[in-house]
Amino acid sequence: MRIAAHPGLYDPAAPTPVLSGTRCARCRHVYFPPLGIGCEVCGADEEHLTPVPIDAVGAVHSRARVHRHLGAPLAPFTIAEIRLDAGPLIRGTLAGDGPRIGDRVHAVWAVTDTRDDGAETVEPVFTTTAPNGAAS
Amino acid sequence: MSRTLADLRPVHVVGVGLHPYQRPSDAPYTRLGAHAVRAALADARLAWRHVESAYTGTATTSMGMSRLMYRHLGATGIRMAQVENASASGSTAFRQACVEVASGLADVAIAVGVDKPLSLTFPQRAAGLHDLVDGRVAPFTHFALLAERYLHDHGGTPEQFAAVAVKNSRNGALNPNAQRRRPRTLDEVLAPPRISGVLTRLQCCPIGEGAAAVIVASDDAIARHGLDRGRAVTVLASATRSERVYDGENFDAALTRETTGQALAEARVTAADLDVVELHDAFTVEELLYVEAMGLCPPGRAAAALAAGEFDIGGRVAVSPSGGLLSMGHPVGPTGVGQIAELTTQLRGEARDRQHPGARTGLAHMVGIGAVCVVHVLQRA
Repeated sequence: MRIAAHPGLYDPAAPTPVLSGTRCARCRHVYFPPLGIGCEVCGADEEHLTPVPIDAVGAVHSRARVHRHLGAPLAPFTIAEIRLDAGPLIRGTLAGDGPRIGDRVHAVWAVTDTRDDGAETVEPVFTTTAPNGAAS
Repeated sequence: MSRTLADLRPVHVVGVGLHPYQRPSDAPYTRLGAHAVRAALADARLAWRHVESAYTGTATTSMGMSRLMYRHLGATGIRMAQVENASASGSTAFRQACVEVASGLADVAIAVGVDKPLSLTFPQRAAGLHDLVDGRVAPFTHFALLAERYLHDHGGTPEQFAAVAVKNSRNGALNPNAQRRRPRTLDEVLAPPRISGVLTRLQCCPIGEGAAAVIVASDDAIARHGLDRGRAVTVLASATRSERVYDGENFDAALTRETTGQALAEARVTAADLDVVELHDAFTVEELLYVEAMGLCPPGRAAAALAAGEFDIGGRVAVSPSGGLLSMGHPVGPTGVGQIAELTTQLRGEARDRQHPGARTGLAHMVGIGAVCVVHVLQRA
């Protein structure tokens, strides 16, 4: 059994991470993290905001190795801004420190905690996508 | 049709005062704030009873804090309110004071910034917003990401960011109200501890405590109270905007470009007319981003202009002659008010060791989480 480290942002039971986004039915803008209440672009109300699955694939827009951080995870770790192929510019944690700006990346599951009953808490982290589409 | 500040009656800064920015201490905010107000009143040679309205810029201390501070000046029944706008709280308090005088609702108003770092909160939690990096992206990492992208887009080296802190530490060393008073070499700025990305500790501003006060007045009040018109500095423009959807473009820079453009147009001046600029350099990369966004140099040219001394005191345009947030410090509420105090001191020609020669027109810029941006343009008569 897998539990999402960030409930509502992805389905932890999926074999590979797929993000839970929102699309505005009026202006077609795609959001991740998902947006409720009203559309930031056109002001459409909540009934126009519909859930949409978003493939966690894109290219690194920027990245920074974090050296100072209180609590988990222990520093250093690397944060990236990723331009998803679906449109949104999101922030995610990189698996390792390898991907550079412009590199293609995709999300894989990382286990952040394991309970006594064996259930794993998971989150998506991003890793380099090889030119043939496989993880490097 | 709405009007701008320039369309209303003139507003002048007639008094400025500060409590030095410093590491958190046992001093209550009331003592910090009253010190700055008394200094501003003494600078203006004005009695507290003549101040009709007070706006307190604050973000990290307490609700309802104004009266416990102002009562120490004498409880005159003055109208008062707190203004919270994140890092731009003080700038927004100053704007509100200017608007009251410009509109005729007051002849004399005061903007006071005061804060102690007692309660730093961010709105995402209250809004129930979460993302994949919950709690992992402090402001320094937000700006480290912008720094990496800047290097990717324009080339350059981490040393070019560090050079901002070298310049601003040199300025801050000349400012008795600055929290960081030591001039730093490039090696010192680049030395560990590393914080995030290319940013080292001395490329991140200190958040401490302090206070700043600015008194604004109408022409009528200057005449009626016998204030020194020769030391008055006129507020030419007050512009404030909030973030739109930039779809991936750096919103801090885009918002700065829009708001500065609006302020310069309202003031009927251009970026080339600016002699002194105080900007939100909480992290070194911001100075390079914002001088380009303001039009002080072409995109990608800020590091070269900085290296050539163009932003030094005595250069083409003095940027952060106070030491900026990096050296003067960023106690949050006071910061935007302190910028106005520095511009006023520069435009009066009273900045002594850190005086920028011939300073006539100045611009103050703050951004705040949200995001918001506030820009003022001041000019000596």
